[in-house]
Amino acid sequence: MNRKRLGYVLLIAALVIAGTWQIGQGLYIHAKALLAQELLENAWLKTRNGEQRATPWPWADTWPVARLSVPSQNISLIVLAGDSGRTLAFGPGHNFGSATLGENGNSFVSGHRDTHFRFLEYLQPGDRVYVDTPQGQRKVYRIEQASIVEAGEAWVESEPQTSRLSLVTCYPFESIVPGGSQRYIVSAVEVNPQPDQSELFKGNPEYNPF
Amino acid sequence: MFRTTRHRLGYRKKREYFHDGYASKSGIVVWLQRFVMVVLVIVLMVFLMLLGDVVHADENYQQLPQVNLQDVSEGSLLLRTGKPGMYQQVPILHSDVDMRISGMIMRARIKQSFRNPGQEWVEGIYVFPLPDQAAVDHMRMHIGDRVIEGVIKEKQEAKRIYEQARREGKKAALTEQERPNMFTNSVANIGPGETVVVEIEYQQVLRYDQGKFGLRFPMAITPRYIPGKPVSENITVTGTGWAKNTNQVPAASRITPPVYQGRGKINPVSLRIELDVGYPLLEVKSLYHRMAQRKHGVGQITLTLAEGDVPADRDFELVWTPDVGHAPKAALFSEKIKGEFYHLLMVLPPEQGAEGGQPMAREVIYIIDTSGSMSGTSIEQARRSLLMALSRLRPRDRFNVIQFNSTTDLLFSQVREANQRNLRRAQRYVRDLDANGGTEMAPALTAALKGQGESQYVRQVIFLTDGSVGNESALFDLIKQHLGQSRLFTVGIGSAPNSYFMRKAAQYGRGTFTYIGDVREVNEKMAALFTKLESPVMSDLDVQFSNGVQVEAWPKRVPDLYHGEPIILAAKTSTAGEKVIIKGMRSLAPWQATLNMTQGRSGEGIGVFWARSKIAALIDSVHEGADKTKVREEVINVALTHHLVSRYTSLVAVDVTPTRPQNASLDSHALPVNLPQGQNYQKIFGQLPQTATPAELHLLIGFVLLLLVWLIMHYRLFARITGEHDK
Repeated sequence: MNRKRLGYVLLIAALVIAGTWQIGQGLYIHAKALLAQELLENAWLKTRNGEQRATPWPWADTWPVARLSVPSQNISLIVLAGDSGRTLAFGPGHNFGSATLGENGNSFVSGHRDTHFRFLEYLQPGDRVYVDTPQGQRKVYRIEQASIVEAGEAWVESEPQTSRLSLVTCYPFESIVPGGSQRYIVSAVEVNPQPDQSELFKGNPEYNPF
Repeated sequence: MFRTTRHRLGYRKKREYFHDGYASKSGIVVWLQRFVMVVLVIVLMVFLMLLGDVVHADENYQQLPQVNLQDVSEGSLLLRTGKPGMYQQVPILHSDVDMRISGMIMRARIKQSFRNPGQEWVEGIYVFPLPDQAAVDHMRMHIGDRVIEGVIKEKQEAKRIYEQARREGKKAALTEQERPNMFTNSVANIGPGETVVVEIEYQQVLRYDQGKFGLRFPMAITPRYIPGKPVSENITVTGTGWAKNTNQVPAASRITPPVYQGRGKINPVSLRIELDVGYPLLEVKSLYHRMAQRKHGVGQITLTLAEGDVPADRDFELVWTPDVGHAPKAALFSEKIKGEFYHLLMVLPPEQGAEGGQPMAREVIYIIDTSGSMSGTSIEQARRSLLMALSRLRPRDRFNVIQFNSTTDLLFSQVREANQRNLRRAQRYVRDLDANGGTEMAPALTAALKGQGESQYVRQVIFLTDGSVGNESALFDLIKQHLGQSRLFTVGIGSAPNSYFMRKAAQYGRGTFTYIGDVREVNEKMAALFTKLESPVMSDLDVQFSNGVQVEAWPKRVPDLYHGEPIILAAKTSTAGEKVIIKGMRSLAPWQATLNMTQGRSGEGIGVFWARSKIAALIDSVHEGADKTKVREEVINVALTHHLVSRYTSLVAVDVTPTRPQNASLDSHALPVNLPQGQNYQKIFGQLPQTATPAELHLLIGFVLLLLVWLIMHYRLFARITGEHDK
């Protein structure tokens, strides 16, 4: 009898531990994503003050390269160098091979669909995206379109005359299992940094007409 | 049924009923008991499977995202329009390779059959690798039974002749050199269903190192990283590659053939080798391909691929060892052409073990290439090699590790002592290396060569890479400029490293090169390299011919020799000559050897060998500051005299009769090549990173599990099962 009961207790305990562990894992990913952005603020400050490759913590293999903000979504994120899996856990990552953020060419920034780049789904053509460079410049981009592509079938073509920004995340948004092959790409082009009046009504925290 | 059960379970009253039922062991209750067990087992199994999936996804999540857009530096996004049948109209290629080895020279004949399976007239353009010292001296175009011999022309002129024939609807073939180890064959006007064969012949001198002869036949090109900013297209004639010409690699589009992405492999190759070396052999080994051997006599063996054709997706390497006591120590081959005498001279200095007394402490800088093309099997080979290299350091040595891809990263900001603590840190660093990103080599090389410290250290730079860059020439300049007291040793990694880069970088770095194409080779090949690093070098080599003979010998300055390496020299003399005296210094002890030239054996291809050596030396002289136009003139001169394809000369063959009707159009197709074995398309061209986390999946599984617990506890089904046994 006792063996059966013991088995029962063990089963329940195993299930509870496994369940809690899984939930912990899930929450950990979100916590890491949130917390890292806070820690990155400091490194970004250093970067703004001219420090090269200011790593947010001593053993980090990435560093801030720009700030990305989307007033219409109340988003302000620090973009990291590189888009390896390790990096993307902490923030959106800029692809090394693509153009430097804020400069001519096409810059690719990728982020996780369930953490930092969840907002991509809600972006609309015409929305403004701001990129603050380490040199203190603010570039304004206007969203042109969004497309869904197969990750293996998309590539970038040379177009050095304009500055473009491509924000990439996984698609479909609702999918629960990671590792899908589709990507959602929001494409934006640099525009004249004239403030758009409509932003006033979208609650841009940084826009103050008075 | 399931619904009913659940419904019943929902009522406590019914539970009593069940309890009673259970006690009386009614059939229903037993069935229910089993049912619940089965459900639980299934849920558990599903959970475990999902868990496995998550773990797996997590791995991907570590590896897959390391991708980049290195093939192009900027631009807008395009969708690939191609479908699986993308290359259907592209000519299909089959290559037959025939090699003959005798003495110190290998001669090869490659027949490339271009078959047009489509309905249109096509032009096929195929970029293919050859050994970096290959001297291509013949090209023939076979149309049915007819054979048209290619003629050697200045490169632009050859191109014009080809273009004209192409326009006029005549069949034509053109063989051009893109890099010393990369060539292009173009064939114009292949009719629907037709096959045109382009046959090229080349020769190369064998590598003789540490008692073994080696022959490397490259079959694949690792996609080259093209640094720099794209230049506008209308300035230059573009090739057919995937890369745009850039300010750093002007002909990038010519050295980046499209990579086949379909199922399986393309471009089959058949291979046959006749070995006829004249000395008994201890061992003949093909490192990466299974070969069937047939012996004919002493030192005579025929080798063919054991399993028929192989896809051109990795380098072929043959190594043979002369039997004990038969290893040649010196050899002289001569050929008389038009009243002039050409010689190939090989002398192997006697071996000498490590110096007596303490060898000098070393300062070793390891550079490891962690770019996207190193992903897959290559990075594993590089990591293992590097770990082995670290283990060879002695406590008084100093070291550092530098990795580079798009950026350069140093393990320590300065060289550090090779103590346990630092070595452990280095090992951890190396184990964590992962391959992704571009191949920006220059900053890493600069970082390794600069900051040279005290002279009581022997400074060695060990460079592990596949050399897949398009800006070789600029890198050679950089090495030459910053070398100082350092010596650079290249270790070619992977199934298709850039042999031209390996050899030349080592030459400019006054070191030597080695190849590792498989993890299993790491121990043996690295050990051989360490022997070289730790043995005294033969330096100040000088070769003198007896008085009164006019001599033109290449290379002008004989490079330092590492353990087990012979001097190989090409010389042209006005008379047959008498004697050659070779002098050198090894750890302050002079060494001298005399060779009697009258005893030289006559050999074929020695003139070509001399011409090829001269061209190589001339091209090298540009890095030493020689005038480019003058060098070009001289190269064209030698190449035309000896019928050689070079940077400035091409072979062209044109059929006299036009075959394509004037009204039929001509489609031009770049023939796709295989990605070298063990490499990952996604990592090299790979586009977008993995951008989903398993967070939600984790949460979902977690909640399901807890719900399950709640259900079980709430209804205490199990308690009752055990309760039953209490009775």
